[in-house]
Amino acid sequence: QPEASPQAGPDFFPPPPPPLFCLAEDAAGRYISPFHDIPIYADPGKIATKDPLNPIKQDVKKGKLRYVANVFPHKGYIWNYGAIPQTWEDPGHKDENTGCCGDNDPIDVCEIGSKVCSRGEVIKVKVLGTLALIDEGETDWKIIAINVEDPEADNYNDINDVRRMKPGYLEATVDWFRRYKVPDGKPENQFAFNGEFKDRDFAVNVIKCTHEHWKALIAKKTDGGEINCTNLTVSDSPFCCSQECAKATVDAAPPCKAANPIPPEVDKWFYYQKN
Amino acid sequence: MRAPPGLARLLAARGWGRPPRRCLGAMARYGTEQRGRPNSPDYRLYFKNADGKYISPFHDIPLFAGSKEVLFNMIVEVPRWTNAKMEIATEEPLNPIKQDIKKGKLRYVANIFPHKGYIWNYGALPQTWEDPNHTDNITGCCGDNDPIDVCEIGSKIRSSGEIVQVKVLGVLALVDEGETDWKIIAISVDDPEAQKIHDIDDVKRHKPGYLEATVDWFRFYKVPDGKPENQFAFNGEFKDKDFAVEIIKSTHEYWKALLHKKADGGTIKCTNVLVSGSPFCCSEEDARLIVQSAPVPVNGDSVSPEVDSWHFFPK
Repeated sequence: QPEASPQAGPDFFPPPPPPLFCLAEDAAGRYISPFHDIPIYADPGKIATKDPLNPIKQDVKKGKLRYVANVFPHKGYIWNYGAIPQTWEDPGHKDENTGCCGDNDPIDVCEIGSKVCSRGEVIKVKVLGTLALIDEGETDWKIIAINVEDPEADNYNDINDVRRMKPGYLEATVDWFRRYKVPDGKPENQFAFNGEFKDRDFAVNVIKCTHEHWKALIAKKTDGGEINCTNLTVSDSPFCCSQECAKATVDAAPPCKAANPIPPEVDKWFYYQKN
Repeated sequence: MRAPPGLARLLAARGWGRPPRRCLGAMARYGTEQRGRPNSPDYRLYFKNADGKYISPFHDIPLFAGSKEVLFNMIVEVPRWTNAKMEIATEEPLNPIKQDIKKGKLRYVANIFPHKGYIWNYGALPQTWEDPNHTDNITGCCGDNDPIDVCEIGSKIRSSGEIVQVKVLGVLALVDEGETDWKIIAISVDDPEAQKIHDIDDVKRHKPGYLEATVDWFRFYKVPDGKPENQFAFNGEFKDKDFAVEIIKSTHEYWKALLHKKADGGTIKCTNVLVSGSPFCCSEEDARLIVQSAPVPVNGDSVSPEVDSWHFFPK
């Protein structure tokens, strides 16, 4: 949204909106899959796991574009939200902590730095801890992390640092995940460990497990169902393809156009008492 | 397409056909014109009435919007969830909206966790003035020299410069840096819940936590700038609609005195085009010259990312 409030009259010139359908490119401008071709361990929009090259797209539910509700006092998402590449929560595997099967997606991250990042941005993060959400009965770990470039990043090394320096943020995070689907008619979500955050070491271990599940997926040792494993850089993967093939995928997508307006109901604030 | 008279009457009775005059949005009667560049010190938003004449939003828009329920016109300055501190320029002729500048920098209000920017559509009531020469007998403080402020709590995010008809619901007695700074709580008459919300208790019922968040916001919002927490009269309790309407009426009287040169406005610009009998009334042509002397409109600058930082306080 532009910061200078758009006015209704003809004289205001809003800046162009960012593209909604972002395909990933590496530094050489070659098309890649952000799910499979970006390394999990850094040195260098919900990812569409079922589309080749896994572009970011907007989720559609019941035939409508999905916008998350604003659950008072929150406005939209309260962190930069995304995923760790080369991870996969295997729906064929029951997590021993949550007792539930994986949600069939890369592992989710809540990045708590000051900067509002852009959709499609790839950033390096320090892992700080994790929350064990059970979203509609599926294991849905939420990694808590901070952008390494955040001005305060050096002061954040574990989950207690978040408690100390951003009091209320972790509580708000549990609150958000507990209630965010209630306006859509779903029940409140549950958590393992009573909604307590586990520390960095625990979180890193969870990430490593989901990385192992992904390796099995990309090597075709696990059946991914409708997951599209097309990739450009995992050379021993049976799903590895060529840049020509990737280009054909991108060229087949609709051309880039100006964004549609966002419906005003998206701005509604939902209120209800916490249990 | 015109229906035969009998059918038109029937449709009107069922709520169809041309809406009665009072339901036409206030915005249909007013427009705005941008000058200068958004997110820069030279940005100005001038106002025009339905006849295309330049007016002052402070002086030329009626406070009372008419009708049986007490309705007021609100000038929106800051849309909900934005940070730029936009305000009516009381010291410039025709009082356009501009962005406040403090210590030489454009002002953006801090994000006080868990809040993002302003948590209501925020603005002012026209034809009101909190007189700094007058000590309020409730707060014990002098007026802040501005029109009275409004927090509009409806669902829709409004635009800066929009004129909205609102129902008044209550008021908070803020003492901001030692000055009286009443905050009227109101809701747009067009809001889907407006039929259910008539007074301050209805707000508590339909939007639990919102009033508490409002006090919290006003208490802390200047702390990141190095100012102390703000204080309130009545221990931060909200007073009801009737009380709020009395406050509004008294600030309207102060404004009338100002426009008729019976009170000293200091550097306040009382230039207006529609307040008959005011010594500050000017011609349409003078008004046009004022607007045309402002910088030409251009596209906006980008905003610094520090505006997005969240400020946390110990719980």
